[in-house]
Amino acid sequence: MARVVVLGAGVSGHTAALYLKKRLGKAHDVVVVSPNSNYNWIPSNIWVGVGKMTTEDVVFPLAPIYKKKGIEFVQAKAFALWPEGDADDDRPAVEVEYTSAAKAGQTEKLRYDYVVNATGPKLNFAATPGLGPDGGHTVSVCTPSHATEASTKLDDVIAAAKSGKTQKVVIGVGHGTCTCEGAAFEYTFNVDHELRAAGVRDKVEVTYLTNENELGDFGVGGMQFEQNGFRTTSQLWTESLYRERGVKAVTGAAVTSIDEGVIHYDQLDGSHNDMEFDFAMLLPPFRGADWKAFDKAGEDITGTVFAPSGFLKVDANYTPKPYEEWSAKDWPRTYQNPTYKNVFAVGIAFAPPHQISKPRATPDGLAVAPSPPRTGMPSGTMGKIVAFSIADMILKGATEPTHSASMSEMAAACVASAGAGMRTGTAAAMTMSPVVPDWEKYPETGRNLKETFGEIGLAGHWVKRLLHTLFIYKAKVKPGWTWIPE
Amino acid sequence: MDNTNERIAMAPLPTAGELRHRRNTFGQFFRFMRINWTMWRLARKKHH
Repeated sequence: MARVVVLGAGVSGHTAALYLKKRLGKAHDVVVVSPNSNYNWIPSNIWVGVGKMTTEDVVFPLAPIYKKKGIEFVQAKAFALWPEGDADDDRPAVEVEYTSAAKAGQTEKLRYDYVVNATGPKLNFAATPGLGPDGGHTVSVCTPSHATEASTKLDDVIAAAKSGKTQKVVIGVGHGTCTCEGAAFEYTFNVDHELRAAGVRDKVEVTYLTNENELGDFGVGGMQFEQNGFRTTSQLWTESLYRERGVKAVTGAAVTSIDEGVIHYDQLDGSHNDMEFDFAMLLPPFRGADWKAFDKAGEDITGTVFAPSGFLKVDANYTPKPYEEWSAKDWPRTYQNPTYKNVFAVGIAFAPPHQISKPRATPDGLAVAPSPPRTGMPSGTMGKIVAFSIADMILKGATEPTHSASMSEMAAACVASAGAGMRTGTAAAMTMSPVVPDWEKYPETGRNLKETFGEIGLAGHWVKRLLHTLFIYKAKVKPGWTWIPE
Repeated sequence: MDNTNERIAMAPLPTAGELRHRRNTFGQFFRFMRINWTMWRLARKKHH
């Protein structure tokens, strides 16, 4: 009997665990380790952040789902990897600290035959002094509780505006190396919609503050697509959307610190700037979960297994080289660790070989380099193909991963809603294929123009609402869940 | 020099026809079907 431990129960970890159990059946054990007792459909946190949904709408308990499927659930946080075993036992292990009320603080080594690291990101608010809701001066929509707090503070802004006070709202990213600019873009749209619905848009100045070198970069170097017979860019498309909504923007910015009501940031031109705010939703940079790796003798081998960012090394080409030499082929395909073949990492937990968007720096050397986004569609697919590979290794004796999915081939979809309502909602819907431009295959734009598009309208809102319902249905493992693609 | 706001000020605004198109329930239904089909297709390929 083999034992597969999946660390994390987000989009990629949950997907991996479900497909592993489906393939392996009762003959083998699948264990999910997650510090949280609930699943969170993160894309809908945006709606919690403007009061259109509640926490209960975007989370559900994991334990009953796993019990029904015969998956062991351990509510704990992994903090050490022992890929060679230890002095007591040759079997590799993950060391965890329980977070459940009953066993909080207790530690245990979980032995495994295969481990899938899907721990997602650590929200690194500490990278920027004053950033974040816990001891900082800004809000976030990264978790349901953060988003709920953001909604409450947005209500305060609306109340102040209704009383006649002019308000300043800033939405964007809180560090030069942040990712997920698409989420900040979406939140900007939603806040604009709520302010208009409340009749106070003219009393509120909305500014989008980003590390992107130009609008529409989204951490993927922007994109080109065809619209009404013309070739356009995501930059012009986004600028048009911002003009239509009266949103100002600051690009190429690295936030350095935040005081009460003031954001301090540097820009690529070397300028040092201050921006006042009454409400600021700034996303944090991500880094890998805080954990270490040890060899059998107990020597620290963290640098062998993990990149300096804390993300796990996989089958990518990590050779340092100039931006111009980066290639789509550098990106991983199987998500297998090159040193320990029974260790995999998926979703945000794998170390990308390089940025997709061109990294830049201020004259003072401050990095302004959007990190590569790893959105739900590719993350779910990674979880699925790693599950299939591990199942083949266990059931068929395969010596190498049998399935692959590279971000330089996979597509991603982003639907940025801008208000709710079956007749009044709207959303910007985008797809790009592939996520990482392949300039050899698509020399003109780096992407397949037939599969890359952007458009805005009521249809996008319906799609966003449908995705919310479908993906929560799928995550709850209801009948036909495998028919819903990642 | 950050010229983003100058670029935003010069960006094209949607025409009245485009705004009607975005709200047209019948037309948007077909867009809805097309977006779903595209996303479904993209999600099911490009992995082996």
